[in-house]
Amino acid sequence: MRWLDSLTESSARSLAKRISRRGLLGSLGGVLVGAAALPLLPVARGANAPQAKAAAANAAAAKAAAVNDPTSCDYWRHCAIDGYLCGCCGGSQNTCPPGTEMSAVTWVGTCHNPGDGQDYVISYNDCCGKATCGRCLCNRNERDTPLYVPFQSNDYNWCSGSAKANIPYHCSTARIVSVAR
Amino acid sequence: MNTLQSLAAAALVAAGLSSQTAVATLPTDPISEAQALPAASPHWIWVNDFVFPHMTNGKAMLVDGDSGRFLGELDTGFGALRIVPSLDGKVIFSPETYFSRGTRGTRTDVVTLYDPSHLSVVGEIIIPPKRSSNMPMMANAQLTDDGRFLLIYNFTPAQSITVVDTHSRTFVGEVETAGCALAFPTGARSFFSICGDGTLLNVRLDDTGHAASRERTGRMFDLPKDPATEKGVRVGDTWYFVSFSGVIYPVVNGKSGLNLGATWSLLSDAEKAQAWRPGGLQQLAVHQGQNRLYSIMHQGPAETHKDPGKEVWVYDLARHSRVQKISLQHEAGSIQVTRDAHPLLFTIFIESNVLDVYDATSGAHLRSVENIGTTPTVLVTP
Repeated sequence: MRWLDSLTESSARSLAKRISRRGLLGSLGGVLVGAAALPLLPVARGANAPQAKAAAANAAAAKAAAVNDPTSCDYWRHCAIDGYLCGCCGGSQNTCPPGTEMSAVTWVGTCHNPGDGQDYVISYNDCCGKATCGRCLCNRNERDTPLYVPFQSNDYNWCSGSAKANIPYHCSTARIVSVAR
Repeated sequence: MNTLQSLAAAALVAAGLSSQTAVATLPTDPISEAQALPAASPHWIWVNDFVFPHMTNGKAMLVDGDSGRFLGELDTGFGALRIVPSLDGKVIFSPETYFSRGTRGTRTDVVTLYDPSHLSVVGEIIIPPKRSSNMPMMANAQLTDDGRFLLIYNFTPAQSITVVDTHSRTFVGEVETAGCALAFPTGARSFFSICGDGTLLNVRLDDTGHAASRERTGRMFDLPKDPATEKGVRVGDTWYFVSFSGVIYPVVNGKSGLNLGATWSLLSDAEKAQAWRPGGLQQLAVHQGQNRLYSIMHQGPAETHKDPGKEVWVYDLARHSRVQKISLQHEAGSIQVTRDAHPLLFTIFIESNVLDVYDATSGAHLRSVENIGTTPTVLVTP
């Protein structure tokens, strides 16, 4: 269920980005959100308060765990990511899957780490040279800008910066670059 | 071959016997010649598709809006952006990317030339392997106003514009546009790009297609406050851009150069309070003859500037006033309006592949055409 939780969470949060560069999971998320809402209706009417509290507690615990899970869309480093998570594709949050090449340049975000209370600059380097991975699409791009501001735009294929592998996009990492000052 | 020939002969004999005994037997079908399209209609539409799950297989599909008939397609390579029909309708230009080993090997970028009546390849122009890979935008590739030069946006991530001479069918060169993106033609020998600081780069070409001048304007767009999208549409000398919050920025190409006209909002105060805003991938369209602007609208919070909508609002560009609301059958992320006197409105969404057709004047839904591609992006009139 963890994948389902993260899927619906991320979809609800970033509904806006369904047509961004790789934001093609939104419709699926929307269906799941709708499906999940139906069984909750009695809870919303207060018919079963203890169960509602337990469900809420479970959801909060799952979200807290997801914040520290690099394969979750809710992972704290993913605050501005847009792509398939390399941790689901044979790599990790800071390494590319075997046989792919990390792009040299990309777009960056500033994410808050609840573990130590600090903000970090995160670089979302793409891994390039193979077809799209297709696993763990994550789309949190609230600060996305138009194409004329490239380094804040998720509408580019950032494998464009890979001299060796060129533009075939496979997945995205979330590298810590520095503490944000 | 002898065996095959024997079998074929036996089949012919059998067919002959059959025709002698059955009056209503259908004739055999010959192996046909390549079919030509019927006479072109102003109500045709090209649907571009970058086929996100299989990016090597980009394509553009031609649909007749009057009948809903799928007429044919072009295969347009890796991460396809958009095709560009010539102004005289005699050729289609398509900037395309290929790798010699599928997703690896040598990258080759070309402008493929297609015969629009047979959808066959009639030539290609090799260009530098630099063209941008991004969510497809109309401004990725544009013709100058006389149709002479094709302008293609490059991102490596160094930014430039490739210039192709469509008369000699040769690569001319690149215009450096450091810090500035995309190409918006303003005349036979001029275009601009939008720069990251909110200014425009105004480029004039000489008759050979090389840059004669490159000048930055003053700041036109206020990026930190309310970014204008790059999805502009043009009527005459004016390019219209819309901001995330729905403010129209007219960029006018006058004798004194590029100037920002008076801005105006698509939304009343009441509509803003109800969180209406524009959104989409190809979110604006225009009809030049009727001076109308079409905008996909939805309700949502800030930063939903790419959301699809279930309404299209229509504006009189002279009066800056809304004249119509069109309720859509399906959510739309891309719209286009045909250029004739009885225009059609086409809508599609990248997560769907249903092409909807409306009477652009009355707003009446005419038909829906299903299974048009995989991840359809921008709609182009022939």
